[in-house]
Amino acid sequence: MELQVQLLMNTLQIGSVYVLFALGLTLIFGVMKIVNFAHGTFFTAAALVVSSVMIWSVDTLGMPIWFSYLIAFVLALLVVCIIGFVVYVFGFQYVLKDLNGSFILSIGLLLLLNGTYLILYGGVPRSIPAVIPGNITILGASLTIQRLVLMIVATIITLGLYILVHRTKLGLSLRAVAEDQEAAMLQGIPYRRVALYGFLIGATLAACAGALMATVTPVTTVIGDDFLVKAFIIIIIGGLGSVLGAILGGLLIALIESFGGYYFDPSTATLVMFVLVVVLLIVRPQGILGHAEK
Amino acid sequence: MSMKKIIGITGGALLALFSAQTAIADETLKVGISAPMSGAAAAWGLGFEYAAEQAVAKINTDGGIKAGGKTYMLELHAYDNKYNAAEGAKTAQTMLNRENINFIVGSIGTAPVKATQALSERKGALLFNTGWGKSIKGPKYPLTFTQMNTPFEILAPFYGYIKEQHPDAKTVAMITPNDATGQELEPVAIDTWGNLGVEVISKDKYERGTTEFQSIATKIANSNADIVDFGASPPTDVGSMLKALDVLGWNGVKVVPAGTSAGTLSKMAGAAAEGTYLGASADFTGESASETQRKLNAGAMEKLGEALNGITISSYDAVMALKKAIETADSIDPKKIAETLPTIVFESSYGPAAFGGAEVYGSPQQILVPVMITQLRDGHAVEVGRISPAELKERLK
Amino acid sequence: MLKSNPGLALCILIALAAVCFALFSGEPYYVQVVIWVFANAVLAVTLRFVLLIGELNIATAAFFGIGAYTTAVASTILDWSFFASLLAAPIIAGLISALFGWVTLRTKGPYFLLISFAFTEIVRLLYTKSDVLGGNSGMIGMFPPMELDAYFPAIAITLLAAIMFGLYAAERSNLGRVFKAIKNNEDIPRSVGLNVIGLKILCLVIASTAVGLAGGVNAYTNSVIAPADFTYFVAVLALAYVKIGGEGHIIGPIIGATILTLAGQLLHSFGPYENIFYGIIIIGVLLLVPGGIVGLGERFKAGTFIGRAGR
Repeated sequence: MELQVQLLMNTLQIGSVYVLFALGLTLIFGVMKIVNFAHGTFFTAAALVVSSVMIWSVDTLGMPIWFSYLIAFVLALLVVCIIGFVVYVFGFQYVLKDLNGSFILSIGLLLLLNGTYLILYGGVPRSIPAVIPGNITILGASLTIQRLVLMIVATIITLGLYILVHRTKLGLSLRAVAEDQEAAMLQGIPYRRVALYGFLIGATLAACAGALMATVTPVTTVIGDDFLVKAFIIIIIGGLGSVLGAILGGLLIALIESFGGYYFDPSTATLVMFVLVVVLLIVRPQGILGHAEK
Repeated sequence: MSMKKIIGITGGALLALFSAQTAIADETLKVGISAPMSGAAAAWGLGFEYAAEQAVAKINTDGGIKAGGKTYMLELHAYDNKYNAAEGAKTAQTMLNRENINFIVGSIGTAPVKATQALSERKGALLFNTGWGKSIKGPKYPLTFTQMNTPFEILAPFYGYIKEQHPDAKTVAMITPNDATGQELEPVAIDTWGNLGVEVISKDKYERGTTEFQSIATKIANSNADIVDFGASPPTDVGSMLKALDVLGWNGVKVVPAGTSAGTLSKMAGAAAEGTYLGASADFTGESASETQRKLNAGAMEKLGEALNGITISSYDAVMALKKAIETADSIDPKKIAETLPTIVFESSYGPAAFGGAEVYGSPQQILVPVMITQLRDGHAVEVGRISPAELKERLK
Repeated sequence: MLKSNPGLALCILIALAAVCFALFSGEPYYVQVVIWVFANAVLAVTLRFVLLIGELNIATAAFFGIGAYTTAVASTILDWSFFASLLAAPIIAGLISALFGWVTLRTKGPYFLLISFAFTEIVRLLYTKSDVLGGNSGMIGMFPPMELDAYFPAIAITLLAAIMFGLYAAERSNLGRVFKAIKNNEDIPRSVGLNVIGLKILCLVIASTAVGLAGGVNAYTNSVIAPADFTYFVAVLALAYVKIGGEGHIIGPIIGATILTLAGQLLHSFGPYENIFYGIIIIGVLLLVPGGIVGLGERFKAGTFIGRAGR
């Protein structure tokens, strides 16, 4: 029993970040109909900013850790938004709805940005001091308070996004564009502006995930890659463009990782995820909650 | 390649041109390196290149290498093998067929090393490598030499020492990355533990690049193993796992045979890493390190931001071995040098060293340097044991 | 046929020249570079071949790997002869791709893209878990027989060139026209009674057979193969070749592969800067020269034509 609780808790810990990251990817797909292979670089950028700023401000300036983290978090989001804006304006807006073109553009960005990170940051992994030290036990399952806070923050952001998409005017435009871009434009929705917003929200979500993960895992310049591959699996399972699908898919993948890693071995669990994707696509090509291709 | 380096090389080339005109030219001897310099393993390649650069610079300022009545200046060419076989084959072609390099003073990564070996042996070039597989050496590959300790050297003394310290430990859980190094280490580790009467109760593999280690930690904590052996896991991953284990309340003997960087490990895991035993993390800052190692290490810290380790420092040792072998053989013929290498004693960064290991590999192609066992205490690597190979002691007599 | 098609004649001449270079130049490194150029060109051409039906097939990398592993198993474990082990590669790759296509080609666009990506990762992970296939260390010892050793580069170039001419012929045939029709609107070929799914599978099998043979050649060229050689990134680079050279004509990917392979060789010792360079080239060409080099050529031709008409 205790073990099951621990494994479920692990699922939630892993899953909350996966969901956040995958949501950005699926949102961008929904609005722009592109698969963004450079999405992991947003995650990485945020994690790198957080670790650089924190190591500098805590060690050199002697700021309190929590304050330094807040500043680092905000800066990370800012930096990612700027990167997102630049790559959208100078790149992605020319390849909207062009699957192959956007794919190759995002690959180019991936190479360029990852190479730049390596030069700026170096190949050495760094980890930041604990923002909130200490452990906690819930129903027999142990975890760090930091992880618990991370889970809660990630859940709040996820809920916030859900509300944004389903309860606001911007959300309505995003959904309308994702559903049928031409009809949305006929309704007077400015497609290009909505696409930009969708892209920036997606990038910001990846940045949130990266800035949160930086507190619990060592930061390297390739940290986003693992998340990217997992996120692809998640959004295929959930259905490309589906917000709820990304949430369910993220939790499912975390569940497989947690329980599969325990009962088999982690490398087998990874294989199982890929096989699951292929099987699912054969049975239900549009994903659990996706719409059939027209 | 940094701008500085390009200027350096161009400058060097110009210099070479001028000296050629004045006809007092020293001959140049090209030496090559094939190691990952981008991607997840970039830190290894960059450290490796650094250590080799230092050795080359030292030899050149000391007046080069003398053989056959000529003086040779070394020139280092470093290539990114991206840690895979296909790129390894490309770098091998570039080094051996384009640059006509006859001496590869360092190569990292089992697959790219094998790809390089396929060509270097046929071309008759000398290949130093850090490969951990037994299959990389032997009479079939007379020109291949391993420049650092491998599991076959490290594990028996290392595990033996740990069992001595913890005689009550009966079970061990193995966890290692699903890569070539991990796959080669695992069977040797299982055998060695078995010989010591310690039972391996689980063996797990994870994909390189994994960032979440909760499930592994839960499994280990629940298995109640006395010892956790992290196999070939890099320090970053070990740090993450130790942190997760600590949260779950597991507190046993922590063993990292391939643990290359105590500093990184301690930074990643803090108090959770206390007491961890490391098999390949020589402490290059402490008093047990040689003067050379301390200097190399400090330089690397300044230039790359990371300490050297058992892998990265080995390119220094290979260059030094090459120098001594060339001078002893009085020739720059790779075949003659390969025959000479097992007969010489040379000054490595660890002190006097030699090549041996014929008993294990069938021919003497393994560097003989001490196995250093360190333990993390108060966030620092402390050398708790230094086991010099019996064969080396014999040779130094 | 050659008279009416001077471009094709030129290509045949270039291929013959490359074979002669491999036979008589005595420059092993540059011969090797020529082989890499041809191998990368085949990867790009086969990727483009499936683009004819409108699908981006990341599994090109997987079938390249399956070909390489097939040859490696046939030659080092089963001790088959050189030509038999080479021949096995396209057959096995073709058969597996038929199965793969039969199951997956009901999906389209982003779904097929991602499923082929997942398939590539699965196949790679399976290699790492198989002891027979050497796990992560991969397989070693694929050498051409002694008596053929000196001729191997010429044989490799001939085979790779033959693949490209074969695919060119297939594209120019009626079959190629049907493939393009499927891309434009698959309802039209269906309405005249064609089995669209069957044709799509056929397209995939042709491409995979071709790239499988290239994989077999690759196993002998490198003598060593390992799982990390066959990640999805192989297909990504191939797509870069296609995009830079231009998708409109088969010569596009060949030009793209040639330029980027040669540039890659020059940049080989540039460490992290190599990736940055590739990134900038890919982005730059995509945004500034959307049709690739071939597209540029066509625009230039059109420009001179208008110029003449204006006079």
